[in-house]
Amino acid sequence: MIEIKNLKASVDEKEILKGLNLSIGKGEVHAIMGPNGSGKSTLSYALSGKEGYNVSGEIKFNKKNLLELNTEERAQEGVFLALQYPTEIPGVFTKNFLRTSLNSIRKANGESELNAIEFLKILKEKSTELKIDDEMLARPLNVGFSGGEKKRNEILQMALLEPSFIIMDETDSGLDIDALKVVSNGVNSLRDPDRSFLIITHYQRLLNYIKPDFVHVLSDGKIVKTGDWKLALDLEKEGYGQFIN
Amino acid sequence: MENYENIKVNFDSFIQSLKSNADDIEFRKKSFNHFLTNGFPKAKDEEWKYSPLTKDLNKFLSVEFGKSTEQNFPEELKENYDHYPIIFIDGNLQLENVQENGLKIVKNEKFLKSVKKEGTNPVLNFTNAFADEGYLIEVEPNTIISKPIVVYNFYSKNFSSNFVSAKNFILINESSEITIFEKNIYNSDQEYLITSNTEVFLAKNSKLKKYNVNEENKHSTIFNFTKANLDEGSELEHFTFSKNINSCRDETIVNLNGKNSFASVSGIQSLLDNNNHEIKLIINHNEEFTESSQFIKSALHDSSTAAFQGKIFVDSQAQKTDGYQLSRALLLSDKARFFSKPELEIYADDVKCSHGSSSGSIDNESIFYLRSRGIDETDAKEMMIKGFLAEVIDKLKDDRFKKIFFSKLGHDSENV
Ligand SMILES: Nc1ncnc2c1ncn2[C@@H]1O[C@H](COP(=O)(O)OP(=O)(O)O)[C@@H](O)[C@H]1O
Ligand SMILES: [Mg+2]
Repeated sequence: MIEIKNLKASVDEKEILKGLNLSIGKGEVHAIMGPNGSGKSTLSYALSGKEGYNVSGEIKFNKKNLLELNTEERAQEGVFLALQYPTEIPGVFTKNFLRTSLNSIRKANGESELNAIEFLKILKEKSTELKIDDEMLARPLNVGFSGGEKKRNEILQMALLEPSFIIMDETDSGLDIDALKVVSNGVNSLRDPDRSFLIITHYQRLLNYIKPDFVHVLSDGKIVKTGDWKLALDLEKEGYGQFIN
Repeated sequence: MENYENIKVNFDSFIQSLKSNADDIEFRKKSFNHFLTNGFPKAKDEEWKYSPLTKDLNKFLSVEFGKSTEQNFPEELKENYDHYPIIFIDGNLQLENVQENGLKIVKNEKFLKSVKKEGTNPVLNFTNAFADEGYLIEVEPNTIISKPIVVYNFYSKNFSSNFVSAKNFILINESSEITIFEKNIYNSDQEYLITSNTEVFLAKNSKLKKYNVNEENKHSTIFNFTKANLDEGSELEHFTFSKNINSCRDETIVNLNGKNSFASVSGIQSLLDNNNHEIKLIINHNEEFTESSQFIKSALHDSSTAAFQGKIFVDSQAQKTDGYQLSRALLLSDKARFFSKPELEIYADDVKCSHGSSSGSIDNESIFYLRSRGIDETDAKEMMIKGFLAEVIDKLKDDRFKKIFFSKLGHDSENV
């Protein structure tokens, strides 16, 4: 369902992704592992359409070339990126943001917008599962949230928006074991034959909870090795040294 | 030098027509003469360096009085909650009978005459010379007025003069509380000069929330002056919402005269076109254990200009004081401009004072985050601007007015 061909991304003169190929089938969970600076976050931005990168190649998603769509159009199409560092936005209230987001996507897909009552009902349901209380939702977006709260908020957005392609950028970093379990349970409950995942992580730990179908190693802007989830175990033991020249 | 001959003639005929006592006439004459020594302020005057008034006041070298023929205030413009209205129609005060123990709302005649001292501010002197209407709100001791007072400054289509000036008094006696909401409604595109001088006295342990709205005025030149004196343990929350205002200077002086008094002066300004708005604040910590906060946010579109001059003064005997000041501006066009001049003047050593000022464009990371959740770029920007301004509203203590200001901003609050 996602076909990435010869993807290159650069900032100014610096080439970060150097011809990356990857294909992710419907319902599959792929993990990308790689050392710091290998281009993992850049890949997530290239997929979600962040401005400021010079991107070439092809990203086929539902028969469309994502590179021709802007950020919000990709989101409306079903692409979701859980950020490594979710942005704090003072003055924009979390609940209001969530409703605006959900309704923007519904509208773009020709569905009716939800009124406050309909929305709050769905929100209640999804937030309870993720142990997110009302007080947190009443706060400005991510402002004063702990690391764990920010990541749970990202999972909540995923659960609400029901995207078909989810990219998670180091969602596990900075989480203690309890928060990691909450986050993994949230992700696992979203696993679906029609939904694909690309899980970016630096450590193998998360993959004990969310078991991937494939593991890829990203080094210097390219995928240098692909395997099943056991590859993650090897990496944990041996480190990335073997892939860095 | 401008020619003030016309204004002199205006003043003489104004004084002739005034039914007032000798003291009042004397004070007005003194104020007017003081005004004449330097005339309207110039951009080279340090105190008026950033003021839009320096270029606009010269349009008013002749002021016409003449009363409006308008008698009616459109009922549909009234706020839709229970309140005590004070209505100015083209500067003429219309009062309804107020039946509440401990609350007095009258024309301010008595106090208009009681103030003797002329100041050095030329526009204030000008206002004091000419102001002929105004309200007096007094709350008796130990009285909590739960219904807000709403002051409507309404400008009708039937007003052909070019000048309105008011002098108001607010007196909150010991252990009393009140909320006053003042809004300007312009139903006319005329070029007016509108000036006001509001004096506020807060007695021991009293509380005043004073909220102002000034919006949608394409042609007028406005000067609002407020001076508040706070006794021991009293609290002032002063907030001004300014939106799409042609030319305006809001000047506020707060004297923290009693221990444990607290003043919060905040404002947001959303400016378009060639709007030019200046906020000038002076907070004087004259006594120990006093606390103040200044919080101003500006969203500047097109070729608009905003200026903020905020001063924290701490007297040598005002130990253990806490003064806070923050001013932030969002520049939404290459042509928008923001001037900030924070001043600290501190003569005591055991004080906590902080100030900060910043201006910049919308944060790209935040825009990306919103867009990555399916929100269109224009909507995302709009959300960011509203959110930026909403932060000031969010800090207000009054839930009713918080909601009112949020909806003025078109910003849904946490209630979705
Ligand atoms: N906007 C940018 N400007 C300049 N260099 C960048 C930018 N974004 C990323 N880089 C560089 O590209 C490389 C890959 O970064 P990144 O994708 O964040 O890696 P990872 O997420 O794998 O740690 C790093 O060397 C980083 O410094
Ligand atoms: Mg990264």
